Amino acid sequence: MTRLEASRALVAALGDEPIVASLGHPAYDLFAAGDRRANFYTWGSMGLASSLGLGLALARPALRVFVVDGDGSLLMNLGSLATIASTKPPNLVLIVWDNEEYGTTGGQATATAHGADLDAAARAMGIHATVTVRTEEGLRAAIVRARVDAGPWVIVAKVQESAPAVKPPLDCVFIKQRFMAAIGSAEPATRGTHQ
Amino acid sequence: MSHVLNVIGAQFPDVHTTLATREEEAFGIAAGLYLGGARPTVMLQSSGLGNSLNALTSLLIPYQIPVLIVISMRGDEGEWNAAQVPMGRAIRPILDSMGIPHLTSDTADATADVVRLVGQTAFATRLPGACLLSRRLTAPPKVTT
Repeated sequence: MTRLEASRALVAALGDEPIVASLGHPAYDLFAAGDRRANFYTWGSMGLASSLGLGLALARPALRVFVVDGDGSLLMNLGSLATIASTKPPNLVLIVWDNEEYGTTGGQATATAHGADLDAAARAMGIHATVTVRTEEGLRAAIVRARVDAGPWVIVAKVQESAPAVKPPLDCVFIKQRFMAAIGSAEPATRGTHQ
Repeated sequence: MSHVLNVIGAQFPDVHTTLATREEEAFGIAAGLYLGGARPTVMLQSSGLGNSLNALTSLLIPYQIPVLIVISMRGDEGEWNAAQVPMGRAIRPILDSMGIPHLTSDTADATADVVRLVGQTAFATRLPGACLLSRRLTAPPKVTT
């Protein structure tokens, strides 16, 4: 399965749950799979998608928070797995699109191409609900479970790079305000609310 | 900073604290908390600003995500560790160059006002703001005669 096919399968399997997307190709493919108000596309801060999802999950226990990360991005912030394991938000679902390369920057091999196992890393940190999937059927089944069963979840999806053709034509502040409104924490106007 | 954490844990049960593995991660978690409607504070030692710069410049500032930043200073007057001095000297120019406003508190009496003012400004204007707690405040030098 390509990452775009996997992204389409994810969006099709969800309702209005929030999805936080790591920068570059994971965000572009999520957009290509169908733009949603509850998508938070990052344009930078490589490595922090799982941390964003963790903060959101802690702030909003009634929301099931999905994150689409990359293997290269998660490798930049492996400590996040330890923090997720120690805080144990049951409503966080971290999906790793593991294409074994830095797809956005030209396809350089990541450590997962050499045997690094992010599912095992998550388990070693103390996250018990983990699964590695290699097919769309496997991914759909994992998402069905992760939508309802207590997490935190780490789903490592082995995917092929899909070379996205389009970037979301959306600015940072627009993404944020649309996202916050969609999940019920709309920002108040900056003028007239102070003093 | 450990004293502040101890007091929060003992006396303010409605304030939730999360310990991150590094400072940049803490800014990512704080940004997620804000998206969920919370008002987050990131507390760090000045040495940790260095590994937080990408989170600040490519997430919090461009998305206008406000966070109250409380920084326990190292490398200023009273420092014993030479390795703390370069970032201690650089921290204000670094904050200035990112456009992050900051106030310094040298006394316990002033600290509450400084923290409140920086926090109110940050959340009203949607820009991270920093309080710098000087070493004179957090580790008062022993007076020798």
